[in-house]
Amino acid sequence: MAESVKVLPEEVQEIIEVHEWDMRTREGVTRFKELKAKSLPSVALDGELVYEAIIPGQEELIEELQRRYGEK
Amino acid sequence: MKPKNQLHRFIFHTRGVCPPEIHFQLKDRLLEEIRFVGGGCPGNAQLVSRLIKGKTIDHILPLLRGIECREQTSCPDQLAVALESAVNGTLLPAETLRIMDDSKPRERVGLIGVLDGNSDILEKIISSMQSNGVEAAYCMGNFTGKEDANEDVIRLLKRQKEMFCIQGERDWSYGNYRESGLPPLRSQDRDWIAMLPQVMTFQLGGRKAVAFYGDYLQHLPGFSDFGSYGLEINMVCGLTDFMGDETVFPALEAMIPQFQADLIFFGQRKDWGHWCVGEKEFFSVGRSMESGRAKWGLLEVVSGGLRFETIEEAM
Repeated sequence: MAESVKVLPEEVQEIIEVHEWDMRTREGVTRFKELKAKSLPSVALDGELVYEAIIPGQEELIEELQRRYGEK
Repeated sequence: MKPKNQLHRFIFHTRGVCPPEIHFQLKDRLLEEIRFVGGGCPGNAQLVSRLIKGKTIDHILPLLRGIECREQTSCPDQLAVALESAVNGTLLPAETLRIMDDSKPRERVGLIGVLDGNSDILEKIISSMQSNGVEAAYCMGNFTGKEDANEDVIRLLKRQKEMFCIQGERDWSYGNYRESGLPPLRSQDRDWIAMLPQVMTFQLGGRKAVAFYGDYLQHLPGFSDFGSYGLEINMVCGLTDFMGDETVFPALEAMIPQFQADLIFFGQRKDWGHWCVGEKEFFSVGRSMESGRAKWGLLEVVSGGLRFETIEEAM
């Protein structure tokens, strides 16, 4: 997932903050359960689980990020 | 006075860099092994490791100190902090999990769950296992307990051939003089317990098995998420809540290709259970006594896989 975030356009990168959790770690497992996720990879936006078992396409992800940013 | 030329293994938890841990070994002031674990640039990290392996701390510290990559630090800088901490004693040698391997390939084995210090149950189970022709038995921890027969239990366990025991949480407490509210135990029995492994590996029908008690291992000093069988322990104890949460099995299935073992046994849950996820099999080894009857697990290799059943004996 981190790779798909890295390739987002600069204007999108500027409005987001990215955290990646490693599921091999206890910290990663704890976060996974906090989000009530079931599958991998899982993507949460603003602490809300949005994508499960898929990596969204770039256009879809950008649209969702910008929509959320616009609502703030 | 510290003994010279003794090899010590350290695990350093980094700050501000990609790899969360640095594992290294020191013999006196000589760096024997070095590994940046869990992230970062693996090629560069491996190169750094190769370049400084076999050098003395005095030689490499000036090379490592003060290099900045992010957040005013870097992997080399963190290694410098780690080495200085090891030398000045603020970082203690890692007490990693004690792992024992039963290298003899097995076809028919017995599993003993929590005994709680009850020697009568153990005696009954041993007798039942002998009449069922098991090759080896694995005692899954917490063989000590509130029943006042811990010494008899230990005596029986020590006397058996092909009996392999792992430390449960309570056993670990006894072995480290940390128990409370439990019957006293002789020092030699505590020493025997302290030398037991916390993780046992064995071969069953050509498949690799790992057995451990439960989540106390995650809280032991030096436990590493990236250490041997750390993933199996984290997934069983944390992700699946000892397999009670089947909703996370898709995530478990995504992680198990990274497992070292094919068969995973655990004892803490205290009830018996068997799950197949992906190509892995998980076994919860339950209590040794249920409804007044002794109970143990028989696992044997059959054509096409494994057969698992529990055997009950009247007391």
